[in-house]
Amino acid sequence: MAQQDGPGSLSGLTDNEAKEFHKIFVSSFVLFTAVAAVAHILAWMWRPWGI
Amino acid sequence: MYRIWMVFDPRRTLIALFSFLGVLALTIHFILLSTDEYNWLVPSDQATAGAMVDVTPLPPGL
Repeated sequence: MAQQDGPGSLSGLTDNEAKEFHKIFVSSFVLFTAVAAVAHILAWMWRPWGI
Repeated sequence: MYRIWMVFDPRRTLIALFSFLGVLALTIHFILLSTDEYNWLVPSDQATAGAMVDVTPLPPGL
């Protein structure tokens, strides 16, 4: 199977495809982390733990 | 860093990641629900009051 750029990778993704996926992955991770941080702040305001 | 996706298959990685996060979230939520302090469905003051309430038997005939 011919690839556009570079030799075949283990996952089968090309360099550009990996870049594109990574961009979405990182932005999703940041969003998930932000939501989790807000949830933890609210939970701490409700009932703080470990003090 | 993005070259990690040329080694790990994104589809399998996402399935593994979502499965792990799902199991972790369920575990943490059930652990919290099992405690008195952090059970948000039955607040601790209510749980204490419920446990301490006196049960008066109904008079016969009711």
